[in-house]
Amino acid sequence: MITVERLSKRFADLQTGGFTALDGVSFNVQPGEIFGLLGPNGAGKTTCLRILSTVLRPTSGTAFVAGYDVAQHPAEVRARIGFMSNNTGIYDRMTAWEMVEYFGRLYGIPEAALQERIGQLFDRLQMNNIRDVLGSKMSTGMKQKVSIARTIVHDPPVLIFDEPTSGLDVLVARNVVDEIKSLREQGKCIIYSTHIMREVEKLCHRIAIIYRGQILAIGSREDLAEQYKQPDMEELFFQLIDEHEEALKATASR
Amino acid sequence: MSWRNVKLIFMREVLDQLRDRRTLFMVAVLPILLYPLMGIGMFQMTAIFSEQPRTVVILGADNLPDLPLLEGDHFARAWFRISTDADKLRVISDAPETAPSADPAVNEARAKVLEQALQMRELLKRRVDGENELEAAREAKRPIDEVLALESKVHQLIEPLSQRFHASGIQVLIIVPPEFKQNLLHLRDELGRRGADDKVLAPIDYPRPLIVQNSADEKSVIAHSRVTEVMREWERSLLRKYLRESGLPEHLPTPINPTPIDLAAADQVSANVWSKLFPSLLVIMALTGAFYPAVDLGAGEKERGTMETLLICPATRTEIVLGKFLTVMLFSASTALLNLSSLGFTGKYMASLASGGGAASKFGDLALPPFSSLIWILVMLVPLASLFSALCLAFATFARSSKEGQYYLTPLLMVTMGLTVFCSSPAVDIEPFYSVIPVMGPALLLKGLLKATGPDMTLYMYAIPVLLTSVGYSLVALWWAIDQFGREEVLFREAERFDLRLWVKHLLRDKEPTPSFTEAGFCFLLILMLQFLSMKSMQMAMQVATPEEQGVLQIRLLLIQQIALIATPALMMGVMLTTSMRKTFSLRWPGFGRLGWAIMLPFALHPLVVELQASLQWFFPKPPPGLVEALKMMSSESLPLWLVILAFAAAPAICEEIAFRGFMLSGFSRAGKISLAVTLSSLAFGIIHMIPQQVFNASLLGIILGMMCIRSRSLLPGIAFHFVNNVLAILHGRIGETMPDTGIWSWLFRHSDGMLRYQPALLCLAALAAIALLHRLTRHPRIQTVETAPNVDSTLRVLSVS
Repeated sequence: MITVERLSKRFADLQTGGFTALDGVSFNVQPGEIFGLLGPNGAGKTTCLRILSTVLRPTSGTAFVAGYDVAQHPAEVRARIGFMSNNTGIYDRMTAWEMVEYFGRLYGIPEAALQERIGQLFDRLQMNNIRDVLGSKMSTGMKQKVSIARTIVHDPPVLIFDEPTSGLDVLVARNVVDEIKSLREQGKCIIYSTHIMREVEKLCHRIAIIYRGQILAIGSREDLAEQYKQPDMEELFFQLIDEHEEALKATASR
Repeated sequence: MSWRNVKLIFMREVLDQLRDRRTLFMVAVLPILLYPLMGIGMFQMTAIFSEQPRTVVILGADNLPDLPLLEGDHFARAWFRISTDADKLRVISDAPETAPSADPAVNEARAKVLEQALQMRELLKRRVDGENELEAAREAKRPIDEVLALESKVHQLIEPLSQRFHASGIQVLIIVPPEFKQNLLHLRDELGRRGADDKVLAPIDYPRPLIVQNSADEKSVIAHSRVTEVMREWERSLLRKYLRESGLPEHLPTPINPTPIDLAAADQVSANVWSKLFPSLLVIMALTGAFYPAVDLGAGEKERGTMETLLICPATRTEIVLGKFLTVMLFSASTALLNLSSLGFTGKYMASLASGGGAASKFGDLALPPFSSLIWILVMLVPLASLFSALCLAFATFARSSKEGQYYLTPLLMVTMGLTVFCSSPAVDIEPFYSVIPVMGPALLLKGLLKATGPDMTLYMYAIPVLLTSVGYSLVALWWAIDQFGREEVLFREAERFDLRLWVKHLLRDKEPTPSFTEAGFCFLLILMLQFLSMKSMQMAMQVATPEEQGVLQIRLLLIQQIALIATPALMMGVMLTTSMRKTFSLRWPGFGRLGWAIMLPFALHPLVVELQASLQWFFPKPPPGLVEALKMMSSESLPLWLVILAFAAAPAICEEIAFRGFMLSGFSRAGKISLAVTLSSLAFGIIHMIPQQVFNASLLGIILGMMCIRSRSLLPGIAFHFVNNVLAILHGRIGETMPDTGIWSWLFRHSDGMLRYQPALLCLAALAAIALLHRLTRHPRIQTVETAPNVDSTLRVLSVS
């Protein structure tokens, strides 16, 4: 469903001249699978997912989502993905229902089907009590629910979540994680980025550890534990980063 | 593109804006309330203003002649043009017959004021005496210290006088000298006796009244101007009376006295008022109406974090921008229309109030413009609103936050204000050149259409270029907005810290072979600013020069300007900011072939340029006379030809090419689009020529020069072309007149207004040659290896032979 090959992205920067946010990243994700991108802030997770959602164009490399090249057919890709991040806010001056309805219409869902679909979503996500509440009056948890409803209103085969739980309290975060679990059960292809180890352990089938724009390790939890002889995810993470830093130092001093 | 998506986005944005209290306030509430409130305010102000009469004190009222100046405690109404003005001046006089008021307090106040006036009269008398004494002392050549002492004594009297005047509450003090009445009667009697001995009247002089005021005090000034009006009217009547009594015609002092006839009907007067107000208001309000929604839809969306949500929906960037653009345009147009109608109805209502009160309004009845004018307002509003909406949206998209957006849009507001002020000046009417300028075209056309005299056919003709260019500008601005929306660095700009020191360091450290886009833009602004600043000193140098020197001085100044203000900044920036002077200034041998073509091209283009210029003369505003003089000097025989060629051909060819095709073109090319780079560099080249017609010419030549430089990757063909082109222009001015235009030559040349012009046959040949040469010069360079191959020159040689 998602195939990423040697994806790179460079940004111009006033102070340093240029900055490589993503450096030759490759991976693929299958339907019914949750693929975790684990890395600290600034590792390139958001850049990677923004390229997959066609908001940014790659400097080099290719990415296919649901069979379409993100650089060549961005509109086709956008129609087949649901994207949610802490940057995808909701409109202050729209009610929950209007907001989901608006995006549903932009996805071109026929009106009758759309109304039914939104009704179902509001039931499932228990949002009927905030149906006519304006975005500016909602709590963070309510906003997150609206965001999830907005992400899945067109029932996309591919879902991209960029740190969906950051800044949420434990209760809301748990709801979000549960919702993503149920989406996996529906056979969606899900890519999930976070810097929280526990979420990765709980949710993801396979994990890529990303640091400074590069993937340091990739595989299922068990594979990684076996490969690096380290059953603890957190220890494994720090071990990989340390090794990478040392390797960088070594090349710099040589 | 899906219009369904555009409509969806448009509907959402409109709804969103309508739910925003700030937008609603700016767009709807403010205009509806503002003008009526301002009207009420004006009424109150005039009411307050008229309730305060000013105090005039007359001393020696007994000495006034028998034509009554006063009526109780006012001036006689007969002496005022508007009789109610009499109430605006309260007169306190020392005439004994003035009836005391029933209120003792009033009497007391009067007495007090009179007392002060008397004291002032005393001071004034002392001052007059002092002045007389001083005059006498000067006449008699008294010792200097005695004169100085007298001078300071007189001077010392001014201060207390002014203080007393201020404290007294008197705005104007009139002092009538004693025996004034008798003196006037004597004058009259002399006038009556004049026929008896057939002699010329001996000059009669007598003391005149004094009128004291303080021109630094607004109240005193107003009262004084009223008193002057009254005195003038009264004096005329007195004169007429004496003339009549002496058996002379009353109209003797006013033998001409023409009768003015005003043809303006009431509706014309009001149309004139609207033609001044509506276009300016329409422009300003269309911009204001676009300003706030654009900031909210562009930067506001980023700020609230919903931009990315929108970007990942299936709508394309173009659809998003169009939806937003239409929303901004809707609000821009409604703001303008609401303001206009609110002002119109308020004005009309106020005028009807004023005319109901008796005094006729000087604006007529302010009837609203006819239906056809209203349609024109709507027609002009569309291009204006769309231009402003697209511009505001582009700026607002670039901005990171609403605050930043407002900073970017303020210059736009100020430039528009400037243009509007210019357009509303009565001397400015639409002409061909103005009709293609953004904002000015629509504003001036509308002004003409709303005018009382009624539009004529030529004005309707202007509608075509005005509408076409305005729509063109709007489309360019819209394209820019869409382009902004497609740039990820614009959409995802992080809040970067701007540190001047770091930035300069970065510029000097991270040098690249050729300048950046921004550096090229800065180079242009620098050159433009230097030109602007040097204007004054050049002007002054020219002013002090004698006419004989002026020619040589002009040449010298031109050389300095070219070298110091155009070439030097570009070269300096090249040295400091780039690593490769060779690449930046395209210093490369282009091959004899290209050089040869470049030298030949101006010969083919020159006749075309001359004819194009002549045929477009009607379009541009007339150049200022000073410039015409300067251009004449170029063709005057008094200067040696080599010097003129040096200043007008050689120096510009080298210096301007270095700056515009060297530094700027290589900088602008960094954006990746050759056409954009060539357009920008030729526009910069044009703008530096200041005068519209030359701006046009230079921009066109700039495109050719730019293409030549890009294709040959060398500055030399451009320099050669530029030089030959300017030499031809100089020769055209100098010896063009002497070219034969008889016999066979009449097929090629003719003369018109002392200028050499070219015949169609020659023009056709020139055009063909120009096309061929341009094709040669602007074709793509062959691959490096082929170019260096030895057979290339021979091919070129073969081509040039054939």
